[in-house]
Amino acid sequence: MLSRRSFLSSLAAALPLAVLVRRAHAAAVIHLESDPATLDALAAAVLPSELGRAGTIRVAREFRDWGANYRENAELVHGYGTSRLRATGPSPLTRWTTQLDELEAQAQNKHQRRFRDLTVAQRADLVRAALAGQRLDRMPSVVDANHVAVALLAHFYGTPAATDLCYNAQIGRQTCRPLPAQARKPLPMIKLSER
Amino acid sequence: MRRAIESDVCIIGSGITAAMVADRLSRTTSAKIVVIEAGDETVPLAQRAAMRERFLRYGENPWGRDHLEGYEVEGPLQSRSMQVGGLAMHWGGVTPRFSPEDFKHRSMFGVGSDWPISYEELDPFYQEAEELMGVAGEQGPRDLDPRAKPFPMPALPLTYNLELLKAWASRAGIAMWSQPSAKNSVAYRGRAQCCRNDTCSPICPVGAKYSPDFTWSELRRANKIRLIPRTLVRKLVLGPGGTTISHAVAVDRDHPEQPVEFHAKTFVVAAGYTWSSHLLLLSAQSGAPNGVANASGLVGKYLTGHRNVQGFVELPLRLYPGMNEQHSLVTKQFMRPKSGATFIRHDLRVWESSTGRAPRLGDDSGALMLGDAILDDWRARVKTGAARVRAYYDVVPDRASELTLDATRKNEWGDPLPKLAFRDAPESVALRAPTEDSIRALFANMAKAGDGRLLRTSVDNFQDHPAGGCRMGNDAATSVVDSWGRAHDHENLFVVGAPTSVSGSCANATLTFCALSLRFAHEIEKGLPRRR
Repeated sequence: MLSRRSFLSSLAAALPLAVLVRRAHAAAVIHLESDPATLDALAAAVLPSELGRAGTIRVAREFRDWGANYRENAELVHGYGTSRLRATGPSPLTRWTTQLDELEAQAQNKHQRRFRDLTVAQRADLVRAALAGQRLDRMPSVVDANHVAVALLAHFYGTPAATDLCYNAQIGRQTCRPLPAQARKPLPMIKLSER
Repeated sequence: MRRAIESDVCIIGSGITAAMVADRLSRTTSAKIVVIEAGDETVPLAQRAAMRERFLRYGENPWGRDHLEGYEVEGPLQSRSMQVGGLAMHWGGVTPRFSPEDFKHRSMFGVGSDWPISYEELDPFYQEAEELMGVAGEQGPRDLDPRAKPFPMPALPLTYNLELLKAWASRAGIAMWSQPSAKNSVAYRGRAQCCRNDTCSPICPVGAKYSPDFTWSELRRANKIRLIPRTLVRKLVLGPGGTTISHAVAVDRDHPEQPVEFHAKTFVVAAGYTWSSHLLLLSAQSGAPNGVANASGLVGKYLTGHRNVQGFVELPLRLYPGMNEQHSLVTKQFMRPKSGATFIRHDLRVWESSTGRAPRLGDDSGALMLGDAILDDWRARVKTGAARVRAYYDVVPDRASELTLDATRKNEWGDPLPKLAFRDAPESVALRAPTEDSIRALFANMAKAGDGRLLRTSVDNFQDHPAGGCRMGNDAATSVVDSWGRAHDHENLFVVGAPTSVSGSCANATLTFCALSLRFAHEIEKGLPRRR
């Protein structure tokens, strides 16, 4: 059976670039869907522990879904005060799968174990090593993140759920909510144990 | 083969002011009305939730292919968007009125120009526009915010955040109230109540914000108009003697080989501040060598708008950003300068803000945070709140603030594209620094009154809510249309909305463009058969 890299290399030799890029994106989607464990393990290492195991797996699944539904060269919302049009860039998914592969390789090199089998602290150390030397201060947009770990964080922290978690309040940003309720202070979050 | 389409009224453009005119004429007359739109049909309401979702997730344009290819123009075009419904498909729905002072700057303050109409004359048309689109508003202090009748809908309630910020502004001596908006505080004319999706601009997924497509759908369903999309009007052709428009020449984008002519008794140019002047200039011909309606040489001149100074204030308040991000407080307190003082005039709005309170990757020392550290850091930084404050201020337009034809850039049919350049009149240049300093000082005082801190300020050089290019006036030598929107040069040609504005005020201007259009529609209907 061909490895993913061999498969991509054979494609590169045979197909025009645009087709190749689309197929590389599709291959990355399949790769992430068929083997989500590395991404799940990454999520558990970089996301807040309050989410719990089920929560980090849910965020990882939503992140994969985000990537799978990404469209290249889609027109972006028009800028204000300019006639210039902009479009989405290449799919980041192929880059992210490569970076997950690299984390996996580092886990084997350093610990002789799979990334998913490392402790959270060991996984976080590998992420830190992968990001070493990069200027990281603000949370970038998902698509601009230069590493899959950062993209995953950007994805989660951009959600209304993350805002609610931070404020411990049911704000429900960007969701359809009753208008009259906005006059009241948002209610606190309901903890699972209190349900 | 040439195609000819006949009507009583031919409206060029399908944006918000065109919708106002068509709605009025179809209610009061039995005229045959044709509306021509260069862009495509817009995205149906049923698809907007899905389009919004992709906008939120990926930043994609939620309006599909809402532009014409090859229209990269030089200068600050407000938006590239062109579709049925125009720019108001993605407007913010913010609808303050201008203030009475806006219409008499020269006589009251000795700057700029007076309009040929007064606020009092426009008041009933403001009301008509507010009722047509559905405006939710709170009556401000009557001396600053006069109106003959109440708003058609109760105000959007203030959020918990805005209530706190209103109390803060009050401590700074500023009375603020809920910004009037074309968003349904209750269900209105078959459209849903706002459920604060936070994406009014660029897209409301539930139809709670007014957009012109609702008017078009209603009028089309009742067979009161014929709206023809994907058809670009390239020229208005004069009739014999040059005092009237005979017909409009257009290109059907689906059949460009087959020119279309629109013949009508009355022509209404409702194509916004750019494309209205552009069409008139493109229509140069024998009898109108500088373009139609341009004996004064002022078509495309006196482009106007307003600039803003914006600031962010940190306050010792626990706020919850995201409750209704696009709604704001407003005041007209600074729109009435003291007599004899320097002409410094601006509005003021306040929003909740999350500036400086977004989650981040690096801590203060630049070290990477992961896991719980990011959330802990974020929580520590939201213990205090922040407000965005912004003041639009008046800019007096120069004659050379203009739209011209760009000989170097042409569309695919060979017509030169417009070129835009905004310029302040010399008196406005002199007022700029004191105005911006005054606004910054106001922000600093507000911060102090709330025991807060002014974090930063900025000035947006772009002139917002652009208008002008076909300014109205009583003198044919110094204006393009009269106070009813009728071209001085051609008795059956009207220009409506933004292009006719004499000045841009210091407040969002769309409602004023709509009120002007309805006033002009009252004049247009005089020559048409009344509806029985």
